[in-house]
Amino acid sequence: MTSKIINMAERIKDEQDRLLESMFESAPIADNGFSTQIVKRIRRKLWIRRITLPAAVLIGGLVAFQPVVGLLKGVFQLLSSLPVELVPSLEGSLPSLQLIVTGALILFVLMFSLNMIED
Amino acid sequence: MAWGEDHELVARVVSAQDTNAFGELIRRHQSHVRNFLRKLTGDYTAADDLAQDCFIHAWDKLQTFSGRGSFIGWLLKIAYTTFLQSKRKSKRYGEILDQVGHANEVNDRSYTVQPDEVGDLDRFLAVLTDEERAIMLMSYACGLSHREIGESMAMPVGTVKSVIFRGKEKIRTNFDIKDHQHG
Repeated sequence: MTSKIINMAERIKDEQDRLLESMFESAPIADNGFSTQIVKRIRRKLWIRRITLPAAVLIGGLVAFQPVVGLLKGVFQLLSSLPVELVPSLEGSLPSLQLIVTGALILFVLMFSLNMIED
Repeated sequence: MAWGEDHELVARVVSAQDTNAFGELIRRHQSHVRNFLRKLTGDYTAADDLAQDCFIHAWDKLQTFSGRGSFIGWLLKIAYTTFLQSKRKSKRYGEILDQVGHANEVNDRSYTVQPDEVGDLDRFLAVLTDEERAIMLMSYACGLSHREIGESMAMPVGTVKSVIFRGKEKIRTNFDIKDHQHG
């Protein structure tokens, strides 16, 4: 009831209100490609956002590939130089270097593909 | 393609990042937003640039639209915030230029209309503060209710009413508005 009274009061306009309304009134502005321009900007923004993370991962992967392989080789050399008595359980259970690198590459390609499909 | 109500389009944009649906929302409301900003700034080119920024901000923040008020009210709130941010930036830029002695290069986006373009409305708006101008425009140019304006400007309805009253008083004391009737 109260809101109805408020709405009614709001609708009651004096002479000045009507005059102001007519003065503030303006012709509609034609779109003339305005909306298309903004949609293009948004699509470009979306595309950049989608491509940034995979591109960063790819570049980072390429840059880090050699050092990571070097690090893994070092770890394997260290492990193989340890006396067998110290690491009896590791012997035979450690995968080969090629297997680890291949697994990592497959995982990376899978994650990248899933990300692209999701987008 | 037949598009639905604003709220349906918003839901499509939020759930599926549908740029075509957002394009339809822009087509529906660009005239109001551009008119609002043109009258707020008094500069058509700057206003259209601000309108573009406003719609980009709207795209980024669309998930925050609760759907309780009208979409145009929410858009005008973003338009007003964009206008204030741009004004603040211009002011900061002006201060920097001032410090290095290039005060004349300042392009202040406050209400500046070329003398030969000044109409009655421009003169009315020039006596109002930014906030009063925005609220008067929302009420008289965009037809928003006091409640919608209150939601947009994050202020109570009573405050909206007093700002409109104050604006009208300023116009009344500065101009004999009866002279402008039918003109």
